[in-house]
Amino acid sequence: MTEFNYKTCTGCSLICEDILFPDAGSGSVSQARNLCRKGQAHYQALFSERTGPLVEGSEVSLDQAIERAAEILRNASAPVIYGWSNCTLEAQEVGLALAAKIGAFVDDPSSYCEGQLMERILSGKIPSCTLDDVRNFADTSIFWGSDPSSTQPRHLSRFSYFPRGEKRQKSYEEERTCIVVDVRESPTARLCPNTTYRVLPGEDLQFLEAILAVLEGKIPKFGDKKKMIELGSIIKKTEYGVIFPGPLMLVSLQDQMDRFEELLRRLNEITTFKVVPMTGQYNSRGYSQLLFDRTGRVKGVKFTASGEAAEAPSLVEAVKGADAILVLGSDPLLDLPLGLARSFAAAPIIAIDPRRSLTADVARVVIPSAISGLETGGTALRTDGVRVTFEPSMKTNQLADEQILTRIMEAI
Amino acid sequence: MAVDVKVVTYRDIFQYGAEKMGLHSEEYLRLSASIILDKGDMASLGIAEGGKVLLENELNRIVVNATASADKPHPGLAFMIKSPWSNQLEGDESCPAGASGFKGIQAQVSPSSEGITQMDEILQRLRA
Repeated sequence: MTEFNYKTCTGCSLICEDILFPDAGSGSVSQARNLCRKGQAHYQALFSERTGPLVEGSEVSLDQAIERAAEILRNASAPVIYGWSNCTLEAQEVGLALAAKIGAFVDDPSSYCEGQLMERILSGKIPSCTLDDVRNFADTSIFWGSDPSSTQPRHLSRFSYFPRGEKRQKSYEEERTCIVVDVRESPTARLCPNTTYRVLPGEDLQFLEAILAVLEGKIPKFGDKKKMIELGSIIKKTEYGVIFPGPLMLVSLQDQMDRFEELLRRLNEITTFKVVPMTGQYNSRGYSQLLFDRTGRVKGVKFTASGEAAEAPSLVEAVKGADAILVLGSDPLLDLPLGLARSFAAAPIIAIDPRRSLTADVARVVIPSAISGLETGGTALRTDGVRVTFEPSMKTNQLADEQILTRIMEAI
Repeated sequence: MAVDVKVVTYRDIFQYGAEKMGLHSEEYLRLSASIILDKGDMASLGIAEGGKVLLENELNRIVVNATASADKPHPGLAFMIKSPWSNQLEGDESCPAGASGFKGIQAQVSPSSEGITQMDEILQRLRA
């Protein structure tokens, strides 16, 4: 008979802790329960495209790969460490110590999308709350440029729409309103066609100003006036509202985040409104928090030779000038635009990667690692900042990211 | 015949699953090398469902499959799942690196008889 234990999924930034996973020897991964489609794929990744230690495309021992990585970093005058967001806090701490030791520029994929929002949330300029507060108290959830059905598939069922919370026992049937603001009919938008607002790329500021106008009792100059006035009515009746900004909105408003702050200030004069980020990888929030606590910044930081954080160039400039790039917990060649991905590919890359990736395909050195969260335990911050500590779901012989980073640092 | 479009990228749960099965898999290629076009734009280009189109701008060119949008009419607006294919057309100077796809990538779309751009070709371009 299969026996199950609760495990944690690190497939997205909700870090679900209720995954029933079969005991070793009594069942297979495919029997795991409570996984969403994304989580299922995340677990199946344990068995495909795993990496081995490589130097210049040739198979070597793990020791040789680590030694070569240390040599490249030791000789680098402009090193970059990029990725971080699929690593535990423990690995991120060791990685930042390594960055300070070698005077590296550090950045992560979330900085271009969520950086400005995260900085405002961490510094208290924008009010935030936990997802548990959302489940218990929120009656209005606004997904602005975000699509949780695709990116955080259990968001709606665990927290924001379907669950019966402490003060929301009648849930989505009567007590919760879901609002979507998007350029297309996303899977989340299909749940609430009557409260979906179409906003074309670059129109988010006009939409924001239209909300402010209807809250002042004025006729909005943007969009379907009747629908905008209805939105104003929903907001005014809201007891506890939450905005979940996604990349479409954050990129569109990147130079106008002060207006978003103003919108939050106005909303909170009327009722309670919070903002919860929708970070991509499972521990993006952890990296932002760690870097913010250490340096006061959440985006690209350059450490000086003495280990102090200094003014940093942009990621584009840093990568163009890099003579060594250590990548962990990310696949920049998969995610970044052509020019920047080419700049990555032109530099000597050391990829700490559990699975084959485009970055590992072009790397000088590949160091295989355990899959963070599945094969190694540790700590991470959920997208709302709640700290989650977890045990591995599976045993492995592979080293954890922090063990590899420690060995590189010792070798340097 | 070509049509100017603004391509907006988005995330897709099925492509995530395909990515975890392998970046060089047929399924990942099928979902990534694909664009959703407005029905009217498809008609004016004379493209049938699943037909091949060339997408090009000042940065690069890719050939992908076209699908007709089931959404309300959105002429001049197209959608692609964010992937190395959409990244081929994306600049990194005009707005924060990697983010312009969410804002819209300007490109021209036209019917094509060339083969679909393959992952190996993209890797070669990255190494160039």
